[in-house]
Amino acid sequence: MKELLEIQGLDGTGISALRRLILTLADSKRMMGIRYSDWLLGAPSIEAGIAVSSMAQDEWGHARLLYAMLKDVGLEPLKIEHERPAEEYTSVGALDGTFEHWAGIVAAMTVVDEAISVALLGFSRGRYEAARTRVPKMLAEEEFHASLAKAWYRRIAESSSKARSLLRDSTKGLLPPVLAWLGADDEAAKAMVTAGVTESSKSMTETYRDRLRDLAALVEVNIDQVQPDSGWDKDRARGPGCPDEDAVERVRGDRNRALLVE
Amino acid sequence: MIERVYDVFARKHRGDQLAHIGYVDALDDEMARVYAWKTYDEENWFEMCVIRRSNIIPVNRQDGPFSGSRGEGE
Repeated sequence: MKELLEIQGLDGTGISALRRLILTLADSKRMMGIRYSDWLLGAPSIEAGIAVSSMAQDEWGHARLLYAMLKDVGLEPLKIEHERPAEEYTSVGALDGTFEHWAGIVAAMTVVDEAISVALLGFSRGRYEAARTRVPKMLAEEEFHASLAKAWYRRIAESSSKARSLLRDSTKGLLPPVLAWLGADDEAAKAMVTAGVTESSKSMTETYRDRLRDLAALVEVNIDQVQPDSGWDKDRARGPGCPDEDAVERVRGDRNRALLVE
Repeated sequence: MIERVYDVFARKHRGDQLAHIGYVDALDDEMARVYAWKTYDEENWFEMCVIRRSNIIPVNRQDGPFSGSRGEGE
């Protein structure tokens, strides 16, 4: 077993990189939860609505656990969760907008949620104790997300040409920002690999492509030929753009924040 | 796309009897697994399983809830 990471032993670059890694995972989880929550009503069946409702809760619970890790690197989780503008979110760009149809959220469940799980798997295998102890339970819960995603993806891919076309277009749109996020290989990402906190972006991207290859092929998408988006912003730890304002207001709880008694 | 009825059975502890706790409608077995787990999540189940209602063979009566007439889906 790898020796545990001593956070006080990290230099400034290392601390910043660990903050960024935790934050991008937490923000992506939180936005994934918001996108699932958009489908509590309007899913194809009551059971599907209950499932995405539960998955939204899973994602928010995972995000809460990840935000809590920020204390270890000198940040106050409450401020991070409730006081940042949309421009400061480091979530994967594929979750910036709403999904207008069920094929879209199924594509996100398959393409985006899986990428976050692969990133978390790398994190859980590293030297950071909180990730080692807390992330495996998240990944166990994510197995049900992946099962549902695969079942629905196959089902839509085998249905009408219109439905398959929607799924194909959604998949094609989501993959480039996801590959840019998972495959980020800038200074901060390399610092985390060097410190043994997570796995290399190359290794994680290979794992991800292996997991998605057969499913994507069902809608004539060759995942090995999809290129990541350009325009990676290493300072913002994401590609261009940011989540829509309405989603971030819901994330922060702006509308009813005054009622919160602390 | 046609949904089938799947009955859900679970037990809280290893030694408990497996009990019928409800049902879900699903398009296939994989969806039924997830729907059951996500719908009946009020307990920390030791074990849960689903079975297509159409695969249940009635023994002593043909008009019971598990008679198989519902949920064939085909």
